[in-house]
Amino acid sequence: MRRFFFMRTAVGRGLMFGAGGVHLAVVGVLLMLHNRSIIVDTLSLGQATLVMLGVAAGAVALPERLSPDRGAQLAAGAVAGLAAAAPIALLAVAIGTIRLQSIFVALTPDLLKLLTSDLGLGWGSALLLGGGLLAGLIGAALRVCPPAIRSTLIAAVTAVILAGVFEELIQLMLQYEGPIGAVRDTLYVWNGLTPLGAVIVFVVAAAVHQAWAIFGRHRGTAPDEGQLRRQRMIRAGVALLVLAIMPVLAGAYIGQVLMLVGLYILMGMGLNLEVGLAGLLDLGFVAFFAVGAYTTALLTADSPHALLHLGFWMAMPVSVVLAVLVGVVFGLPVLGVRGDYLAVATMGLGEIVRVLVLSDFAAPLLGGAQGVLQIPKPRLGDVVLGSPVQLFYVTLVASGVAAFVAWRLENSRLGRAWMALRDDEDVAQALGINLVRSKLLAYGLGAAFAGLAGSIFATMLTSVYPSSFQLLISINVLALIIVGGMGSLPGVVLGSIVLIGLPELLREFGEYRYLFYGAALIVMMQWRPEGLWPSEVRRRELHAGETTAELDQGADLLPAEPR
Amino acid sequence: MSATAIDRGPWLTALARINAVDIVLWALRIGVLLVVVVGTINELIKDPYTAAQWFDFLMFGLTLGSIYAQIALGYTMVYGVLRLINFAHGDFMMCGAFAGYFVATPLENSGFLDTHPVAGMAAILAVAIVVSTTIALLTERIAYRPFRRAGGLAPLICAIGVSFFLEQTFRGMFGSDVKAYPSPSWQRSAFQFGSLQIPRVDALVIVLAVLFMGLLYLIVQRTRMGTAMRATSEDPEAAALMGIDVNKVVVFTFILGGAMAGIAGVFYAFVYKQVYFYMGFEPGVKAFGAAVLGGIGNIPGAMLGGFFLGLVESIGPSVFLDGLGIPAPYQLRDLIAFTLLIMVLIFRPQGLLGERMAKKRA
Amino acid sequence: MARHALAMALAPVALLLGMQIAAAATVGPVTDPIGVIRIPKGAPVMIGAYMVLSGPDTALGEDEERAIKIGVNNVGGKLLGHPIALDFEDDQCDAEGGQTAATKLASTPNMVIALGPACSSSATPAAPILWQAGITDIGTACTAPALTAPDRKPEYDGFVRTVYSDNDQGASDADYLYKAEGYKTAVTVHDGSPYAEQLVTVFGNDYEKLGGKVLSKEAVAPTDVDMHPLLTRIASEKPDVVYFPIFTAAAAQILRQSKEVPGLEHTAFFGGSALLSADFIQAAGPAVVGFRIGYPDISASAMGKGYPKFVAEYKKDYGEGPISGYHANAYDAFTLAYKAIMKVSKTDKAGNLYIGRKALRDAVFATKFEGISGPIACDAYGECSQFHGTVLQFTSADPKTFGVGKNPIKIWPK
Repeated sequence: MRRFFFMRTAVGRGLMFGAGGVHLAVVGVLLMLHNRSIIVDTLSLGQATLVMLGVAAGAVALPERLSPDRGAQLAAGAVAGLAAAAPIALLAVAIGTIRLQSIFVALTPDLLKLLTSDLGLGWGSALLLGGGLLAGLIGAALRVCPPAIRSTLIAAVTAVILAGVFEELIQLMLQYEGPIGAVRDTLYVWNGLTPLGAVIVFVVAAAVHQAWAIFGRHRGTAPDEGQLRRQRMIRAGVALLVLAIMPVLAGAYIGQVLMLVGLYILMGMGLNLEVGLAGLLDLGFVAFFAVGAYTTALLTADSPHALLHLGFWMAMPVSVVLAVLVGVVFGLPVLGVRGDYLAVATMGLGEIVRVLVLSDFAAPLLGGAQGVLQIPKPRLGDVVLGSPVQLFYVTLVASGVAAFVAWRLENSRLGRAWMALRDDEDVAQALGINLVRSKLLAYGLGAAFAGLAGSIFATMLTSVYPSSFQLLISINVLALIIVGGMGSLPGVVLGSIVLIGLPELLREFGEYRYLFYGAALIVMMQWRPEGLWPSEVRRRELHAGETTAELDQGADLLPAEPR
Repeated sequence: MSATAIDRGPWLTALARINAVDIVLWALRIGVLLVVVVGTINELIKDPYTAAQWFDFLMFGLTLGSIYAQIALGYTMVYGVLRLINFAHGDFMMCGAFAGYFVATPLENSGFLDTHPVAGMAAILAVAIVVSTTIALLTERIAYRPFRRAGGLAPLICAIGVSFFLEQTFRGMFGSDVKAYPSPSWQRSAFQFGSLQIPRVDALVIVLAVLFMGLLYLIVQRTRMGTAMRATSEDPEAAALMGIDVNKVVVFTFILGGAMAGIAGVFYAFVYKQVYFYMGFEPGVKAFGAAVLGGIGNIPGAMLGGFFLGLVESIGPSVFLDGLGIPAPYQLRDLIAFTLLIMVLIFRPQGLLGERMAKKRA
Repeated sequence: MARHALAMALAPVALLLGMQIAAAATVGPVTDPIGVIRIPKGAPVMIGAYMVLSGPDTALGEDEERAIKIGVNNVGGKLLGHPIALDFEDDQCDAEGGQTAATKLASTPNMVIALGPACSSSATPAAPILWQAGITDIGTACTAPALTAPDRKPEYDGFVRTVYSDNDQGASDADYLYKAEGYKTAVTVHDGSPYAEQLVTVFGNDYEKLGGKVLSKEAVAPTDVDMHPLLTRIASEKPDVVYFPIFTAAAAQILRQSKEVPGLEHTAFFGGSALLSADFIQAAGPAVVGFRIGYPDISASAMGKGYPKFVAEYKKDYGEGPISGYHANAYDAFTLAYKAIMKVSKTDKAGNLYIGRKALRDAVFATKFEGISGPIACDAYGECSQFHGTVLQFTSADPKTFGVGKNPIKIWPK
């Protein structure tokens, strides 16, 4: 009986993965992944995804709490893998027999070739099912084998995949002649790893991982709180240093990507003040960004729309100040609006700004659809800070200053007033906190960060077009502070890298960026709502809340009265 | 106020309490009022439109409004029961429209839709309802159930995530191009009343929308499930204590809301003859504004709000924006909708027909 | 010799500092004030391209991509013994996309030349970035007048285009509508894109110079669906023609809904060059029959002699006819690049290829030939294509009948 129950669970979970695979195929992601090879002519990312679906199904076939034995695990894994492959095989048969492409544009003959490994429907489906079984078995085996081996294997495979996917970037970084060039040529060919290269990466990664693990074990006793904190700070510091030096090593394109990341970090810190600290859900944040950008544009551009022709360093403070003013002006009317309604109200304000900036009505001042062009780059004496790398360093410095300001604000009286505001407005007011002042300061200071980012954005693009200021940007910034960790500065950096940097680097997958985005938001909110690198306070808050909720729900788990 | 304050009289006391915020809010009210009134007066003086054209504006506004009203109903019901702004609701509408498209096109090509209008429409609506309801239920199960009445940011962000996910999934499945909806012959002509004209499709949409909404109202008011829904919306804990299965109520709400969204999608597609993966987002947001305008959680309010918003969007730019001499007033059409939304949220968040919410939201 | 060594020493330092500023150099047999590209024996010649490859206007960029690939095939895929490697980037038809695509291309080592883009808003920030790295950019469908205007900034010195300027398109449209058709009053509609807004401005000026009157200048958003109120308003102004050179989605809405709004029965509707695709026919439905658009002359008589052969090859390779209207410009852009590279590149005894960047740019400006889109000859400001304006008219609402010259057909000049 137990056996049957196990199988049923395994099949159910496997089917879920299978459904996920079908979704990826029907949406066109699978074929797109297939176009990126990991190992040239041998393994594409699409094929790897199919395999990993099976492996994952096998690994999670049975939950721990059912405490299955090894044999059951392996059997369940195999069954789950088979169940995962079944929907995909069905899809392949469907594509092959019915003309589905007229409705579902992604079900092309190329996709069929991928699914059946170009073996025709019969053998191809058989291979899928067999492969699924095997993959599921491997997944279960991974689950069962000792953790040391498992983590090493996973690390090594991940390294190979990353080396294959980011091959362009890595090749860009290794673009020197000589010994480094030789390394590059052994590992890579034009668009992927060579088989030898894959093996090398695998072995090296496994070795490094093992060494790390052994080194860690020899450390002895577990470190205490203070040491842990210091370790985290050191790790953060090193990461930051690497980030700062990368453009120099890796060239202008990385500099460009990192600069975009930096701008979003700036904006994230600003929104963090509003949302993370003060609890004011602002979806109209892009309006402040636009104000900063347009102010800089109108004060510096070499175009008939410009009001003045200042230099960047003079225009930037003016942009920031104007953004603060606009922030306060936006905040005033919506002071009394709360919660979800505030989100929608601020979104409306942001959209109003977008419409105005694009409109013919405001065109004499703001340039309308043509935007404002010919914005000069900043100058330091005789040097024009023109290249992406140089501007990246400008952004880095600005972020550093902003981070410092944000950090000091967090620990100040104002910061604590904001946190009280976020928890309960009425109580905060009863405690004597001036709601109006605190809220307006939150909007204003948050807007200042966005204005600064907008200013740098304008000079980076040398032109501002109204199409750059969509609602999507506000949602991006909100998402990155949520995914990274609200209320936490390292979280903002991490969120920006993950949500902004990665899609920029993986531009070939650009069409499906928002699909992954949406899925990531859903998954993050359910699994880890405090973010990837939350502040300590936040994590405690959120999980404390969970425990009480669980206790409440426990009442439902008691045997119910007969209806 | 100290107990020993001299009684300065009620007026002076009130004056003393005015601060900058009040001034700003009053300035906002007066500003918007001025814009509307001055613009309208100017336009009426210019009098560029014939009576027939005013009637056209009215008809288009009502058509658009009926679509907004149907979407708003879904929003308002879900918000009432779950306290969640379901950002993905507009996308349910899109799903329904797409499903209808794949039924309507072969029906039109084979001529069936031309010869059997009622059967054809019924088939299209049925498929659309099934698809949008299924997606609504799946969304509820996967994305919203863990957040029952949690409040805060997480459910909102999750809803935004669902919205993206649905849009991009449909984009991946069906392409990013704009698909033209078939236009059967019985929709193309217009009813004539003297010099006034109503395009057939508009009349159809308005009448059917009102019928469906009436049906919904009856379901909510008269059936047991409907009563359970209203009870849960008012006070979920008390409802649970009375033996109402909240899960079932939520599922029922999503079924109703999803169905209405699907119907709205088909109507939208028939009137505007296009489906496109991003078509749901903007009408969704505006419909939410309409729901708030009418009073969130209030079904007749959502209908009222929807029609009102549709009329304002249709008439607004031509009347008061043009009256102020603004060039290309239709670009600023969204501005009107959003200003209306913001004004409602600031000055009357309970909407035209709603009651003041007793409990503070997150 | 010392200078050579200094240059060799400075180059990696410059690279190290991440500065993408091209610098004078002598490498191998070539000296050049901006820089020299050295392609080792057997290594590919990198040609970059950036255009819109995703979103609702994908057909525009994909059409060009295919044309460029055909061009490469036609020269055997090789240039002086080196394989040609194409690097396509998606610029999403906006400024940020253009900038990122251009930065990517500019930081790829040994990128010889760039083709594209299709959208002017993308070219505006992108061309200076490419030129700063010494890469010449041959535009394929970006028609904004400012890009090749006499007063363009030095950052655009490296930019040419094998496509016409909108100054000419607007003038031609005004000519047709006022003189040939006799429409005295017009209403213009743009969709907020830089291309459309600039074009209606140019058109409006030319139309009024000829004696016509622009009654009002309207605007919509590209994603607007409800055009009834706008059309009713336009109907109240009773113009002779509505000029709306906008993109597919909104244009299709306007066209469809114009049949439902009373008062527009005697008003003509006239569109622009973004609407030449089967997608538009499908989106506009029955209203598209008889609809006219202004377009550069791509009929067989105006195109170069090689055009029919190109179309046949296109059909063979891709199973369908050209899906948009700028394939010929893209093909010619590639041919121009190819000829220019052939002219200035030098091979040394070991088989390595050297190309001077400034020399390449000058060669691009100086090369003249008969392209498949017409004669290609660049003026001092980068305008290499000649413009002949025509008007095309759609004949059928069935998207399967789409074909340049078939549906729509050319109706003017006769």
